[in-house]
Amino acid sequence: MTAAIQFVIDVLSLGGAYALMALGLVIVYGILRLVNFAYGELIMAAGYTLYLVSASPLPWLVMAVLAVGAAVVTGIATDYVAFRPVRAKSVTAVLITSFAFSTLLQNAAQLLISPRPRSIPLPEMFSDTVTLFGVVTPARNLITIAAAAVLLTLFTLAMRRTVLGIAMRAAATHFTMARMLGVPANLVISTAFAISGLLAGTVALLWLGRIGTVVPRVGLEPLLIAFIATVIGGMRSLEGAVLGGFLLAFIDTALNYSLPQDLLKFRDAFTFSLVILILLWRPAGLVRGPATGQRT
Amino acid sequence: MALAVEALEVRYGGIRAVRGVDIEVGDGEVVALLGANGAGKSSTLLAIAGAIRPYAGRVRLDGRDVTGSIPERMVRAGVAMVPETRDVFSDLTVEENLRLGAYVRRRDRAGVEADRAAMFALFPRLAERAEQTAGTLSGGEQQMLVIARAMMSRPRLLLLDEPSLGLAPTIVEQIFAMIARLAATGLSILLVEQNVGKALAVADRAYVMRLGRIAAAGPARELAAAADLKEHYLGG
Amino acid sequence: MSARDLLTLLLLVGSVALLAVAAEFLEVRLFVRIVTNLFIMLVLVLGLQVFMGNSGILSFAHVGFMGVGAYTTAVLTIPVRMKGMALPDLYPLVAGLELSPLAGILIGGLVAALVAAVIAYPLMRLSDAAAVITLFALLVVLHTIMLHWSAVTNGPRTLFGLPRATDLRLAAVAAALAVALALLFKESRIGLLLRSSRDDEVAAAALGARVPVLRWQAFVLAAFMAGIGGALWAHFITSFSPKAFYLKESFVILAMLVIGGPGTVTGAVAGTYIVTLAFESLRALEAYLNRAQIFAEQVVGLTEVVLALAMIGVLVLRPGGLVATREIGTWLLRRKPDKGDPP
Repeated sequence: MTAAIQFVIDVLSLGGAYALMALGLVIVYGILRLVNFAYGELIMAAGYTLYLVSASPLPWLVMAVLAVGAAVVTGIATDYVAFRPVRAKSVTAVLITSFAFSTLLQNAAQLLISPRPRSIPLPEMFSDTVTLFGVVTPARNLITIAAAAVLLTLFTLAMRRTVLGIAMRAAATHFTMARMLGVPANLVISTAFAISGLLAGTVALLWLGRIGTVVPRVGLEPLLIAFIATVIGGMRSLEGAVLGGFLLAFIDTALNYSLPQDLLKFRDAFTFSLVILILLWRPAGLVRGPATGQRT
Repeated sequence: MALAVEALEVRYGGIRAVRGVDIEVGDGEVVALLGANGAGKSSTLLAIAGAIRPYAGRVRLDGRDVTGSIPERMVRAGVAMVPETRDVFSDLTVEENLRLGAYVRRRDRAGVEADRAAMFALFPRLAERAEQTAGTLSGGEQQMLVIARAMMSRPRLLLLDEPSLGLAPTIVEQIFAMIARLAATGLSILLVEQNVGKALAVADRAYVMRLGRIAAAGPARELAAAADLKEHYLGG
Repeated sequence: MSARDLLTLLLLVGSVALLAVAAEFLEVRLFVRIVTNLFIMLVLVLGLQVFMGNSGILSFAHVGFMGVGAYTTAVLTIPVRMKGMALPDLYPLVAGLELSPLAGILIGGLVAALVAAVIAYPLMRLSDAAAVITLFALLVVLHTIMLHWSAVTNGPRTLFGLPRATDLRLAAVAAALAVALALLFKESRIGLLLRSSRDDEVAAAALGARVPVLRWQAFVLAAFMAGIGGALWAHFITSFSPKAFYLKESFVILAMLVIGGPGTVTGAVAGTYIVTLAFESLRALEAYLNRAQIFAEQVVGLTEVVLALAMIGVLVLRPGGLVATREIGTWLLRRKPDKGDPP
C-alpha cells in the first residue's frame, strides 16, 4: 500500500513538473507554429541567476522571483533574436535560429561563467521530508504538486476568462483572422513568450531543486521532456501538453520502479520506444488541437 | 465612411492579381464587386483590409491615406472584413467569438454588452447557440456569426467577401436580408459576390472585375439590365 | 540525368578532385588532414541533404547514425588481440571477427540504414514539427545507448584500436560518390515526388505519392550515408568516444548545410567548404588566444558562438542558404530571357 502511495506521489509531482514544462513550450508553438529550441535555456537562465545572486543577503524568495524574471526576459529575448527576424521566411529557418540561439546561450554561459557545475541556493524547506499517509517523501515533491496545481488552474482561468486569453486561443487557431479583428499581433506573441518564460522559470526552481547545481547543459533534459510530452499530447493542444506531461511522468516512474538495476541506465531508450509505439497508434497525438484543416 | 481606392496593384511574387483598380464607396453606400473566379476581387478586399500589402496604389478612408496599414490599425480606423474563408475560431464558443470581435472596444464593457445583445436579437439562431463551439455550427450559422462578429467592432465600412458561398438558397436569402438591414443603418459596404442577382438587388452601385482590372462600372440597376454582363464573366 | 545535372556533377566532383590533387602535391601534413576530414564531412553533410533537402524536415538524428556506423566498424575491424583489451565484455560472436576496414565501413553503413529503417518508420507519419522534435529525441536516445552499452562501445570511455584505413584517396572517392548519390536521388522519381509533396500534398497524393513512405526512403538513404561517413571517420581518427556523436557535431554539420543551402547539392558542398574554412581558422585563433594567454581563462566555445551567429545571419538575409534553389549546373546553363517571353 505504501508503495502505491509512493508511486502516486512520484507520478503526480514529476507529472506536475513535466506538465508545466510542456505547457511552456506549447503556448509558443500553438500560436506561432514555432518550435523553440532555446526553451531549455530559459531554465538555465533561471539557474544561473540563482547562482549569481546567491552571495547576496536577499531572502530566497526574492532570489527566486529574480530567477523567474530572468527566464521571462530570456524568453522575450528569444522572440526578438531568434524569431522575429526570420518569422516570415520559413518554418525551418525558425527552428534553426532557435537552435543556434540555444547554442549561443549555452556557450555564453560556458565562456562567461563556467563550464563546471555551480551550486545554487535552495530553501531548507525543499529538502525537509514529510510523512504523508505513511510514506516519507521530500517536501519538495508536495510543493511541486501544489505549485503545478495552482499554476495550471491560474493558466486555465486566464485563457478562458480574460480577453487576452481568448485572443491568444484565437490566434492559435488562425493568426491572421485574429489580427483582422484588431488583435495586436505583437502583444499576443510577446505575451506568449512571457508566459512561456514564467512557466519555465517556475519549473526551473522545482527542477533545479532536485539537482542542486546548474551547468550550461542543464536545460537539455527539460527541453526533451517538454518535446516528448508535447508530441504525445498533440502539438497544438494545451490540454494535450498537460496530459502528455503526466503520461510521460507515469511512464518514467513506472520504468524506474520496474526495470532491473542493470537496465535502469537505458531507461530513456525504453521510454522513447514506448513513445514511438504511442505515435504509431496516434501520429497526431492524443488530443486533437484546434481544427484548422492545415497540416500542423 | 467613404472609401477611395486608386490604381491598386496586388502581386503574389510574379503573379499580378490586381492590375490597377479604382473603386469608390460613398458614405452609406452599398457597392458590389463582381467578377469570375480569379478576377482579383478577394485580393482587392484583402489589400484594403491590410491583410496583404499592396504592390502599388492608394487606399483612402474619408480622404485619409491608409495604404499598407496593418490589419489591427484598419480595424481601429473603422474597417471590418469578413473573409471568404469564413474563419470562425472553431474551438471558441459563439459567445467568445463575438467578444473577440469587440476586441478594439474591450474597455467599453457596457457598450460591448449592448452590442452583444443587439447581435443576438438580430441573429436569434446565434443566441440559441451562444455556448456552443463555433466549429459545430452549420455553414449558414457560421456566416451569420462572422458577420455579427465583424459588426461588434462598430465598423463604418464593412468588407464582405462572398457571403453566399456554399450556402443553400434560403439561407442566402436570410443573409442578404441581413445585409440590407445593415445597409439601412448607414453602414458603407463593399460586397464581393458571385451571386450577381442577389448582389445587384442589394447594391447601389457595382463594379465588374476581369483579369485584375475593372471592366465595367455603374449603378446597380443599369448593370443588372446590361446584356454584355455575361461576356465579362465568360471572358474570364 | 539532364545536361544541367551532369554539369553540376562534373563541377562538384571536379572540385573534390582538385582539392585532393592539391593536397597530394603540397604534401603538407596539416593540409592533408584538413582535406581528408573535409571529404568525410562532405559525405555526412550530403547524407543530411538527401533527407532534409527533399523532405524539408530537420533531422538532428543524423549524427547518431554516424555513431552507429563508427561503432559497427569498430567492433568488426579492431584486431582480435586488441579487442580483448579494448572491449573485454564484447559478445563472443563478434569478438573473434576481424574484417577488412572496407568491409567494416560498408557494413557500418548498412547497419545504420537498418536501424533507421526500423526505428524511423512510425516517425515519418508525424507532422513536420513533431518529426523534428522526435528526431531530436532520437539523437539523445542513440547517444544514451552508446554511452551505456559498454560491452560494445566501451561506455563513455574512448574506444581505441581501429586500423587507420581512411586516407586522402579513399575519402575523396567516398565524397565524389556521395555527391553523385545525392544528385541522383534528388532527380529520381522518389526525390521529385517528395519535394512536390511539400508544396501540395493533395496533388502529390493524386500522383501516387505516399509521403510517409517517400520520407522513409530518403531517411534510410541518409542514414546509410551517415553510417558510411561515421565509419570512414572512425578509421581516420582511430579512437573516439560517444561524445563525438552528439549536439556539437550535429550543430556543425547542420551549420554547413544551412549556410550552404539545404535545398541543393551544390549548397551542401559549398557550405561544407565555407564552414570548414571558417572553423579551422577559428580553432586556430582559439588555440592562439589560449597559448598567448590573452584572457585569464581558457577560451572555449568561441567557434560555436561565431557559427551560431553566422547561421542566424544567413537565415535572416538568405533563408534558403547561399545556394538556395538552383544547382550550379542549372545556374550556368540558364537561358537568358527572350523578348517574346511573357512578363
